[in-house]
Amino acid sequence: MTRQEEPGKRHPVLEVRDYSLAYGTPTGPVEALRNVTLSIRPGRTLGLVGESGSGKTSLAWAVMRYLPANAIERSGRLELLGEDLRAKSLEEIQNLRGRRISMVFQDPGTSLNPVLRLGDQVAEVLVRHRSLTAKEARQEGEAWLARTGISRPSDMMNRYPHEASGGEKQRVVIATAFACNPEMIIFDEPTTALDIITARQILDLFDDLHDETGVTALYISHDLGLVSRIAQDVAVINQGEIVELGSCEHVFARPRSSYARNLVAAVPHPDHRIINTEPDDGDDLLRLDGVNVRYGRGKNVLDFLQPRREMVHGARDVSFGLRAGEILGIVGESGSGKSTIAKALVGLQDFEGSITFGTKSYSGRRRIDRTYRRAVQIVFQHPDASLNPRQTVGKILSRPLKLYGLAPRPEWARRVRELLRSVLLPEDYAKRFPHELSGGEKQRVAIARAFAAEPQLVICDEITSSLDVSVQASVARLLVELQQKTGTACLFITHDLNLVRQLAHRIAVMQNGDLVDLFCSSEARAPDRHPYTTQLLDAVPVPVEPEEAAVTA
Amino acid sequence: MSELIRHPTGMVGAGLLSIIALTVILGPFIAPYDPQAFHPAVRLTGPSAAHWLGTDQFGRDIFSRLLTGASPTILFGVGATALGVLAGSIIGVTAAVAGGWVDSVIMRTLDGLLAVPDLLFTLLIVTILGGGIGEAMLAVAVAFTPGMARIARSSVLSIRTREYILAAIARDESRAYIIVQEVIPNAIGPIIVEATIRVSFAIMIGATLGFLGLGAQPPSTEWGLMVAEARQYMYRSPWVVAVPGIAIAVAALGFNLFGDALRDAFDPRRRRR
Amino acid sequence: MSPAYLLRRLLAVALVLWIVTIAVFAITMILPGNAAIMILGEYATPDQVAALEERLGLNRPAAFQYFEWLFNLLQGDFGMSLRLSLPVSEVVGSAFRNSAMLAATALVTVTVVAVPIGMLAAVKRGTKADLGISLVAYVGTAMPEFVTATLLLVIFAAPGNPLLPAGGFIPPGESVAGFFNHVILPAGALGLILTAHIARQVRSEMSDVLASDYIRAARLKGLRERRVIRGHALPNSLAPAVAVISLDVGYLLGGIIVVEEIFAWPGLGRLLILALENRDLPVIQAITLLLAMVYALSNLLSDIVIAALDPRVRYE
Repeated sequence: MTRQEEPGKRHPVLEVRDYSLAYGTPTGPVEALRNVTLSIRPGRTLGLVGESGSGKTSLAWAVMRYLPANAIERSGRLELLGEDLRAKSLEEIQNLRGRRISMVFQDPGTSLNPVLRLGDQVAEVLVRHRSLTAKEARQEGEAWLARTGISRPSDMMNRYPHEASGGEKQRVVIATAFACNPEMIIFDEPTTALDIITARQILDLFDDLHDETGVTALYISHDLGLVSRIAQDVAVINQGEIVELGSCEHVFARPRSSYARNLVAAVPHPDHRIINTEPDDGDDLLRLDGVNVRYGRGKNVLDFLQPRREMVHGARDVSFGLRAGEILGIVGESGSGKSTIAKALVGLQDFEGSITFGTKSYSGRRRIDRTYRRAVQIVFQHPDASLNPRQTVGKILSRPLKLYGLAPRPEWARRVRELLRSVLLPEDYAKRFPHELSGGEKQRVAIARAFAAEPQLVICDEITSSLDVSVQASVARLLVELQQKTGTACLFITHDLNLVRQLAHRIAVMQNGDLVDLFCSSEARAPDRHPYTTQLLDAVPVPVEPEEAAVTA
Repeated sequence: MSELIRHPTGMVGAGLLSIIALTVILGPFIAPYDPQAFHPAVRLTGPSAAHWLGTDQFGRDIFSRLLTGASPTILFGVGATALGVLAGSIIGVTAAVAGGWVDSVIMRTLDGLLAVPDLLFTLLIVTILGGGIGEAMLAVAVAFTPGMARIARSSVLSIRTREYILAAIARDESRAYIIVQEVIPNAIGPIIVEATIRVSFAIMIGATLGFLGLGAQPPSTEWGLMVAEARQYMYRSPWVVAVPGIAIAVAALGFNLFGDALRDAFDPRRRRR
Repeated sequence: MSPAYLLRRLLAVALVLWIVTIAVFAITMILPGNAAIMILGEYATPDQVAALEERLGLNRPAAFQYFEWLFNLLQGDFGMSLRLSLPVSEVVGSAFRNSAMLAATALVTVTVVAVPIGMLAAVKRGTKADLGISLVAYVGTAMPEFVTATLLLVIFAAPGNPLLPAGGFIPPGESVAGFFNHVILPAGALGLILTAHIARQVRSEMSDVLASDYIRAARLKGLRERRVIRGHALPNSLAPAVAVISLDVGYLLGGIIVVEEIFAWPGLGRLLILALENRDLPVIQAITLLLAMVYALSNLLSDIVIAALDPRVRYE
């Protein structure tokens, strides 16, 4: 652990010294933070980076003095401009929250009250802390909405949260946080719940407001690449301990702790390709011709009592081909139709148009046969949901063997052990149930199940996005290894542009159900890219390059 | 299971259920008196060393009657619920799996039946079948069926869109495999929770039918019937109605508490709090 | 809420009631004990029975009888009570008014008591007050109405020194005080289990609200606890409370049957038990339909109230 000793007369805005926190549980206390020491000088932004369960959010709650009843503060000081926060009464803390320290939350969809108008939710802090009248507060609130880039602020004031988009809602939350000109704002993953381009806009807004107001910020994130772009200082937290602290350039270029080194290395960087094979030449293994997917109402006489649903295009006239051994990435924002294509390809979704696999064409979901279903396997996003909680790993993995008659019964146990080994899991996991495994381990089982069918194509639908950064990297590597070993083609669907540029041969971009662009990974920055592709690529910060970590990656 | 006991609700519920189960099984053997024996000398006496909970209008020992009455009262609730859950689950699962117009017809019919209050529905059926404990049990089971069918259906529907079911469909598993191996084992949790809570309602409705003279018939020592038979004397000797009345409440409470604890154990969202 | 939505919901209510008519008719058709025998007594000769069946139209095909009954029903004609020889609408009409007064008194009292208690328990979660409320609520939900009614009678209506009348009914038109005197015990017997149930449900809904992100956000804005509860939590827990109450209306409608019987309240419940004993089919049919209609309409009403309380609910 390092302690930053910077010269400077001014008090740090936030100073945390030797702070330790635990939570009491029926089985004994669980340590959440251990001897945390950090400080943020006026006007600076400190990025606090850690994986889920690292204690980064606990630190935010501790600073806000919003700890659950079972929290045990073991030691240390928390100071705001030299004032001891732990010594303050609830009354003093209530006067301070929202006025001197405020907070922006991860999901604006849940952090805004659904039955109150947005304007009232901004105005109430002004009434509370600056003693404005309701009318003044609304005017001031509207002015703040305008400063956060909301185009028709007076209109937005009267809307309810469900009538605004995710980005608009987050702007309202940000306006509320800035409204009383606080000395410090804690940002808790403010862009994680947003779409790529919206997230980028919110980051730009953060930069602008930070420059304008000079507010001091604690920016909590799991995303090193993002933090490297917006923060001057960074603290890396692991299992409640700060393992790395310093200026961004230092930490990213020469991470001292092994944890931080691994974390930096795990951040996908488009220039570090993790595949080195080329797809087979020859005909396409898979071809989509004019595939359309429409979501709409089911026709049913007795459904006249249900409201009429509009027809929505999930995918519109999508055509592309995929060669044997190729990894094709599909990227897009939520609702772009990328998962719709995955569902259509594995026969979970009715479609129009035709899918050709090998020499055989399928013109609809009901035409898809078992030969196709064996050859085309899917891995879903959430490993928690894609494994039946009532079956053991062994049963889950032997199912494809039985179903497709790939091995005689006495061989199953041996084959299951092989499969587990191939995804780097211990053989005795066969006896376990899914809930006894971690998220990354479950996803490995799901991958093993797909490969158990000895498929020619595996569809990976956002398989890394519910996992932690370091786990993401290992799962992606594992997939590429298996893919190279077996020569299976792969359709890799993701919203992580840096990751897809690392491992795909070609990349397809989807927007609102349309396939708008398709290009070789190496040509991502070519001038003839579709404007939307460029917009997406621009929205994603490419992480600062570590100096020595590149080789170990 | 350990999760259940740790919670105070679950602990008390499990405790009460154990006492109830013991009473049902052992009650007739440990009863100090013949529950039907008249003791004319000690009519309507209060609790004493000889008669722990006093005697009724015929001098019968209330404690002994209570012990022997546990079985018709409790087994009624359990039996009626079990029948209703079984029938309801079959209907609900069928509706959910079939979908389309079959589902619509079943659901609209259930909506109609659910608009009739449970007790009224039960009374209508009991009147058709004629009074008696077996008939009453069947009536409660029929009255419970629509509600259970609805719960079973929504439970199956919520599971049908889980990714492990999608994975099974994508693998080309047969419909029978998906229903038997994937859907039912996962849908059963909410159904069991609801069933446990419903046992307490069934016990209360059964006792109410006994009280109205439409359920258990004399000389049964069913608790609702005990209250009804003693009502004339309730002002003079309140314990003759209070003891069986409270016993009904305790039994219903046990199933209620246990069911709630089960629900919390099954629902990870509530488990944390 | 659009008019199209309202129309669709009313159509749904009509569909539900139509299904109820089929169910009710089917049930009453297979009732044992011939209505003609019930009217004429056990010692009637077969000729007399046949003649009466002929006159009442009971020997015609079931489907014919059903459609005739439905047709008359749609014109407001519920037939004649077999037992009382009066038009059903007349017999049921006054009983419906009396029941409505009892049910409304009980429901209003329950709502006024249970909702605040449930919210209080949620706000004071984990304290002694919460524990006490939860305990009473648990015991309350386990007490069937006839037990509560019997215990209330023992306590409040003992013949030596009755604090309240043990039964009977005085129309409020005659004496408001007399009405309330007589309604307290039956409403109490009906209300205890409902109060307990609603308080528990409201506590659980309100606890969910209090654990939500937006309540945390409100606290972290520095709002005072009173404002967090009243301004943020309360508006969010009213709609669920209405939903709980509307579901319990069904339970209340079942409960009045027993309670009216015990307290000799001349309402639908008492009439129903009399009609069931006498196989008075037209009365049984009318009461069942009426109760189903009240329940279906109260659900519709609650949906409308919920839409007014929660801006997210938009019925198209």
